[in-house]
Amino acid sequence: MAQFRLHGSKVLAVDMAGDAVKAKNGSMVAYEGEMTFKKLTGGGDGLRGMMTRRLTGEQMEVMEVKGHGTCYFADRASEINLVSLHGETLYVEASNLLCTEASLRTGTTFTGLRGASQGNGLFTTTVEGTGQAAILSDGTAIVLRVTPQLPLQVDPGAYIAHTGRLRQHFQSGVNFRTFLGEGSGEAFQIRFEGEGLVYVQPSERNTIGGEV
Amino acid sequence: MNGPVIHDATTLPVDDNVNPYAFSVELKGSKWFLQKGKMIAYYGRIDFHGIGHGPLDRLIAGSFHSPLHAADWVVAEGQGKMLLADRSFDVNSYDLEDGNLTVRSGNLLAFEPSLSLKQSIVPGFLTLIGTGKFVAASNGPVVFVEPPIRVDPQALVGWADCPSPCHHYDHQYLRGVMGGVRRLTGLGGASGEEHQFEFVGAGTVLLQSTEQLMAEAPTGEGPPDEAGVPGGGGGHGNQPMPRLPGQLGDLQRRFGL
Repeated sequence: MAQFRLHGSKVLAVDMAGDAVKAKNGSMVAYEGEMTFKKLTGGGDGLRGMMTRRLTGEQMEVMEVKGHGTCYFADRASEINLVSLHGETLYVEASNLLCTEASLRTGTTFTGLRGASQGNGLFTTTVEGTGQAAILSDGTAIVLRVTPQLPLQVDPGAYIAHTGRLRQHFQSGVNFRTFLGEGSGEAFQIRFEGEGLVYVQPSERNTIGGEV
Repeated sequence: MNGPVIHDATTLPVDDNVNPYAFSVELKGSKWFLQKGKMIAYYGRIDFHGIGHGPLDRLIAGSFHSPLHAADWVVAEGQGKMLLADRSFDVNSYDLEDGNLTVRSGNLLAFEPSLSLKQSIVPGFLTLIGTGKFVAASNGPVVFVEPPIRVDPQALVGWADCPSPCHHYDHQYLRGVMGGVRRLTGLGGASGEEHQFEFVGAGTVLLQSTEQLMAEAPTGEGPPDEAGVPGGGGGHGNQPMPRLPGQLGDLQRRFGL
């Protein structure tokens, strides 16, 4: 089984013994031992996955890395966060997914308005199964727990991923002031309710909502 | 393997850093002023009001020097904890006790209403006066130094309790015919360090550890168009363009043209 560990905060080291991982295309920076790199066309979920990704705009450039030794991955000096999955589902934007174990299944799912507000489209990538995944963030990610008593509101631009059984609502504070140029700049939030974890990054992507 | 630290509403720090890039503020019916778009997440019930009109007017009158200026700020009000961050820059909080501090406008993220915010006479800078806590961002950790000191203009974040800086030029280098050629064309090698800000007197100067500037935030309307006001354009007769709220990066104000 592939072992994921962080080498500093911006490099992911994966120890492999004949097994495989899926990684963002071109993210390998170094390796020790014997490795083979195979481009997986259309995200690596077979023909159906490829079609879905094409249609939903959640294309991933993915390669399969297989071999014996240690492989190092990094992407534009972004911070890397490890997520251990035990049968649950990780929802993450395709651009924030760096590497997953081959045992994890990836797919796409409908997210609704949240995606639209970020300019990321209406769909997001899901990672399911048992194993480890590595996700990228701009600055050290903060993991926030959501419980039924304590719902969480997140700025769409700072959201990167979540796990668990969470319901998402899109909440807006647009009022007449927004149209007078007196908007609060925090007009849109995603409200998470239920039980789970939300990953946020200390940075906001440029979003349509962020300017309002 | 240790997983990442998982925070929830009870374990988030009270008015302290979560990590070098994010700051947690606890609101208990109190208010904070934020720059637009710096909130990344919150627990509890917090309302964000764009300010300038309405019932918050009295509060604003005490904290901002002009109503127009307030258009770039947001009041957060309610119960709960919120996280502030800015483009994954380092953030730090500072306590002022009956003091004053001048900071580059783009670096100030949030402050308590007990402080009053004024536009500095140095274009592109804001001055905080009073007692309270504020949060500022910097590109890399902040270094505190004491005058007398000369600092690189791009590395300057702000200064506390000391008189305004003046320009310092390396005249030995810029003098004479060769100096003029170098200055105009860069030929003969300019080191890029011919110009500094000079601080004298007692106080503290805040520097960031890179020379990469943060995006400028608007400091409100330009200074009054009067003679003798730096950046006011008095005597030049050129009317500044009317500005829309939320417009970014006003180079004219930065350079005091």
